[in-house]
Amino acid sequence: MASTEDLIAKLSAGLTPVARLMRPGLRALGLIALATALIGLLVLLRGFRSDLALRLAEPSYWLQLTGAWLTGAAATLAAFETSLPDRPRAWLLLPLPPVVLWLSGFGWTCLADWIQIPSGAPIASDSVRCLETIMLASLPLAFVLWRMLARARPLAPAPVAWAGALAIAAFADSAHLLIHVVQASALVLAINLLPAAVIVALLGVFGQRGLTSAAA
Amino acid sequence: MTAPANQDPDLRSTEAPPELDWSALMAQSQEGDGQAYRRLLQSILPYLRALARRAGLPADEVEDAVQDVLITLHSIRHSYDPARPFAPWLAAVARHRIIDRRRRLLRKALRERPMDSETETLPAPPTYLPETAGEIRRMKAAIAALPKGQRQAIEMLKLKEMSLKEASAASGQSISSLKVAVHRAVKRLRSLLAED
Repeated sequence: MASTEDLIAKLSAGLTPVARLMRPGLRALGLIALATALIGLLVLLRGFRSDLALRLAEPSYWLQLTGAWLTGAAATLAAFETSLPDRPRAWLLLPLPPVVLWLSGFGWTCLADWIQIPSGAPIASDSVRCLETIMLASLPLAFVLWRMLARARPLAPAPVAWAGALAIAAFADSAHLLIHVVQASALVLAINLLPAAVIVALLGVFGQRGLTSAAA
Repeated sequence: MTAPANQDPDLRSTEAPPELDWSALMAQSQEGDGQAYRRLLQSILPYLRALARRAGLPADEVEDAVQDVLITLHSIRHSYDPARPFAPWLAAVARHRIIDRRRRLLRKALRERPMDSETETLPAPPTYLPETAGEIRRMKAAIAALPKGQRQAIEMLKLKEMSLKEASAASGQSISSLKVAVHRAVKRLRSLLAED
């Protein structure tokens, strides 16, 4: 390895200005706004669930819906904060209280319906639309969040990936709860945590620097 | 929520020397000021070395760890917020890199075993063994027991170290017959000595 003085000379020679990252709170706010707008857009395109008037009268529905959205917001903030080296890991605890509210109405119905369809029978349209909603909410948000987080080049990316996946799942379920009658929160969570598990596994295999720099 | 991200007790100290404003230098570096960047990197070296030593890295790993921190700092310098103190940010970067290095060293130590005396290469057996008086006598007796032609060939070519041409001229035998005689003599000597 070259001498440290040589390295310093090399790093400081021809130094170019860099665009500073915005504060994590502001960056999180941007993604929360995007997620909320996407939820609104999906509701506009697909319409509210047919039993919305009935469900709005139930406190449990409000709790679950609010819990899902707040989980998304809190996990987004936690992901952006912990993507920076000098921020405490305690930020990862922030989504826990809203997760409890969200957990109150977990269900797998969407997938269960789909699996129970006999072979050869036409697939139940609502189950397909349910999965579509989950994917339409999850994929764009996951792409944007991944790009934004990778720009920070987190030194410990695994907890950031988990928090990000939780945020996407919670926002996707917020959309789902407004549009579909079936309960599928656990399915939404599984769909989003699985890619996070893959990312964390890849980080273990290829090293965090390679993966984050490739995404940045 | 202001505690450092990583809680390794050996790496908690984040006190910066008072003579330089690291935050200001880093802010200037982010704007592309190479001189400020150079001053900053040079001024943080003692601090980084102290952190690496305090973390228990072996002496020959300290400088590599420092360089690792400098490269990481360079690659994420856009993530530093000048409104916040620089030293905790630097200490957090250093902690991550030093801990990574410690883990690598630990994995390496678990994978590799030190060489013990059993795995050391043994010295090769000596290839030249001094002859004893008994062996010389046995060899002389064996040569004497050879047929005349073979005995002559051995004496001239092996003991007197004559060339084939010289031996041919001295004995009046052809070169090819001398070769055959030596070959047969060596073979016979082997069997005679083996019998003993």
